[in-house]
Amino acid sequence: MATATVEPTGNETEVVEDVQVQEIADFKMVTFTLAGKDYGIDIMQVKEIAKFTRFTYVPNTPTFVRGVYNLRGDIISIIDLRLLFNLPAQQKGEDEPENGLILRLENTLLGIVVDSIDRVVSIPSSQVQPPHPIFGDINIKYISGVAERDERLYIILDIERVFGREAEEERTAIERASVAISNAATVDPVSQSAAQVEQTHDAASADDSAVQRSFLVEGLQAFVGFEVSPSNKDWFENRFASWTSERKRAGQDAQFGNAEEARQFLQTFTSRCTGRLWDSAYANEVAAALPEIADNIVHVWNPGCASGEESYSLAALISKRYPGKQVKIWASDNDLLKISNAPNLVFNKSEVPAEWHDLLVEGKNGFSFATELKNSILFEFSDLLTGTGLPKMDIVVTRDVLSYMKPSQQTNLFEQIDDRLKTGGVLMLGDNEVPPTEAALTRLQTKTAAMFQLR
Amino acid sequence: MRVEYINPFVESAYNVLTEVLQADVERGELYLKSQAMPMLGVAAIVGLAGDVEGRVLFDMELSTGINVASAMLASMDMEGVTELNDMARATITELANMITGQAVTKLHNLGFKFDLTPPAIFSGQNMEVSDPDFEALIVPMGLPMGKIEINVAVRERA
Repeated sequence: MATATVEPTGNETEVVEDVQVQEIADFKMVTFTLAGKDYGIDIMQVKEIAKFTRFTYVPNTPTFVRGVYNLRGDIISIIDLRLLFNLPAQQKGEDEPENGLILRLENTLLGIVVDSIDRVVSIPSSQVQPPHPIFGDINIKYISGVAERDERLYIILDIERVFGREAEEERTAIERASVAISNAATVDPVSQSAAQVEQTHDAASADDSAVQRSFLVEGLQAFVGFEVSPSNKDWFENRFASWTSERKRAGQDAQFGNAEEARQFLQTFTSRCTGRLWDSAYANEVAAALPEIADNIVHVWNPGCASGEESYSLAALISKRYPGKQVKIWASDNDLLKISNAPNLVFNKSEVPAEWHDLLVEGKNGFSFATELKNSILFEFSDLLTGTGLPKMDIVVTRDVLSYMKPSQQTNLFEQIDDRLKTGGVLMLGDNEVPPTEAALTRLQTKTAAMFQLR
Repeated sequence: MRVEYINPFVESAYNVLTEVLQADVERGELYLKSQAMPMLGVAAIVGLAGDVEGRVLFDMELSTGINVASAMLASMDMEGVTELNDMARATITELANMITGQAVTKLHNLGFKFDLTPPAIFSGQNMEVSDPDFEALIVPMGLPMGKIEINVAVRERA
């Protein structure tokens, strides 16, 4: 059974610190190893530590289910955590006991097989750090945190998630991998494992790419809030193919290790001239595609304008495109810091396309657009989730905004766009985005800009 | 919420509260709310009409309201209050007026023209406030007497 251990202190100078730590050590976890790495499970979820022998094999179950086990009269299922996580599993003889834990999961008991049980570790819950993908073996969403103790790093598993219903899909995918492992003969388990994984990759590369894809989709969501959805699916598929081959050539795993890699993946997604004034090539391309407008006022909606460069570019190019007409732009973003600075942006003359130089005035901090143009833009702090009583729009520009919204929010934004865009009005999305197929939009002829006209 | 409107309200709330209550005021993180939201217990409301329309709501718990009113009265060498009586209401109303008035002055200087309505006080349990077409900006202010949430819903007249 589990017993709480008092951590030995290495030397006298550490005593004081150690006592302090112990005082508030309110989180206890049972630690164990899987493939040489340390893991922990909250002790509240552990019923007991056990040694399992002689499972009863149950036919037609996923490979990671080792069978059922009679625990003093209760029948419980036994799951091999190593097989579930696609880690090398040491094969044991028929009568050799397996180390394991019995977990309490809501109202059911469940046995898990691990390499070896270590001990009970107490730490202050404040020391538990959020999951960080240092280990690629286990999908990050199964990890509830990471904690360091006596120079060992413990990965704390979120048991509810591992065995919860939503894990169903992953499990079937992982099952395929574990079949290969369990089928392999009982040679030297450690040196063998790497080879097995390789085999698995070759044997089932089609399935594998589905798993890879789902990992990347989740990684994008977790690291940078990017949602793979119908609006960017085509781009994602292309990028997925180039990314995996790129990474394979470099001898790296396709999965993201950190947010930086996720951003690298998105490099080809980000629209041209993001975060700066548009260059003349892009501005001209967009202006050329804009249809004639009958009204004397051009209404433009620019949700997700970030720090405002896009809105200024629009104001400039639209006022040049429709000389003599008044321009009114409603620009909004939910990042208070960025949008707060937008009304007072200043530029270097060199970054402003030459054809807009007549729209600039020089101030003491640099060049900015003339008051008349500035006043045509209304910057709003808004999270886009409510209608704010805007008029019908001739042009809606929302680049790379949909892709960073949850699917329900995407639908909401699209309903608003649909509601506000005049017939014949133009919608401009990110260079790699498309509107939902059911929308009555026709793509305009442009080089790269994604512009659509409402029929 | 137009960005130019945000700072005048935050600044004047901070200035007035610091000055009137002679206390440390802690500015919380600003955020937006759009659905119906529960109110804390006592709320002073000031309406705006003109180039800009909307309302500003000063929302606080009953105990905060009483403490704030007492602190304001004490600064004028008057006796404090222990319940939400006429004196307490009048004091909270005055506070709302001062903050909104200062913000409106700042906005006038920026070229926005509009008027204020006289403040009204609401009090009670389990109240909710909602304005379907507005996104409200919440400016939380932490005081030693408790928390005041300033709920600003303002927009250009269409």
